[in-house]
Amino acid sequence: MDLVLRAIFLYFFVFAITRVIGRRELSQLAPFDIILLIVAGDAIQQGLTQDDYSLTGAVLVVGTFAILQLFTSYASFKIVRLRPLLEGEPIVIIQDGKVLDRNLRRERLTKEEIEEEARQQQISSLDQVQWAVLENSGKISFLTKS
Amino acid sequence: MANAPEGIVLGRHRDLQGRKHQVWVRRGILAVIGIVPLLGLFNFFGQRPTDTQAAGQAATLSLSAPQRARGGLLYQAHFTIEAHRDLENAALILHPDWLQGMTLNTLEPSPTEETSENGAVRLEFGPIASGNRFDVFLQYQVNPTAVGSRKQWVELVDGQTRVASIQRGLFLFP
Repeated sequence: MDLVLRAIFLYFFVFAITRVIGRRELSQLAPFDIILLIVAGDAIQQGLTQDDYSLTGAVLVVGTFAILQLFTSYASFKIVRLRPLLEGEPIVIIQDGKVLDRNLRRERLTKEEIEEEARQQQISSLDQVQWAVLENSGKISFLTKS
Repeated sequence: MANAPEGIVLGRHRDLQGRKHQVWVRRGILAVIGIVPLLGLFNFFGQRPTDTQAAGQAATLSLSAPQRARGGLLYQAHFTIEAHRDLENAALILHPDWLQGMTLNTLEPSPTEETSENGAVRLEFGPIASGNRFDVFLQYQVNPTAVGSRKQWVELVDGQTRVASIQRGLFLFP
């Protein structure tokens, strides 16, 4: 029972962390972020299973995570009002080539980061952009002027 | 002005109507998460030891052990007996909570006799001469499933005569 309770607590704790930490941080993983992620995973594992090396323990934990993940995605699918809470919402950051500073500040994004992202999508100037949207995944979608 | 992409509602996704509170919710949750390590810095979750002393006419009993610990942690309880007069058969009587949900890795020095007394654990160490100091070390590990409060009661007796006692608690975080 203890393992299942730990798994439930940690699932929602990690879920809350990933929702509040900001989507850009999660989509752009620098080498330091990757190391931090591995260390965090190790800390979670130790708090979760502690000295339990059993197959039963592993099945309990993985099973609990799978059910919670299924439950969360089903809730998001069925209950529209829960979707923003569970998945987040897109946010417009450029309209008609004009950067929306207020929305950028909200997501702790800089203009330089958007320019970098635009260059990666073969867009040389933000003036060419009709719409840029920061998606739930943390990726930026650019729609250029036709 | 070009139409917004499908699925984008300008009021909500550009002008952030009805989303202003989200920033404060996010900040609130982050603040709560941030408080946890801050509390940890101030020993809220253990396992820094705290000292307690009980002075009797025949001896003084001191205890140095954490009063807060977490599942799986290793920690030490250090008892010190300072005899003010000769003790013929010094013994420590430990409340069963000292061992409930704990793994006792070692106990040094080994008692001359160990027994159970009304549910408590009695550890006898023999005579201690007046003016001498006697130290007992118990090395523990908290069992991962042990959670909640425990009594850290200990009594120093000489034979059947009560000399000094300490009553305090230990809280185990999951």
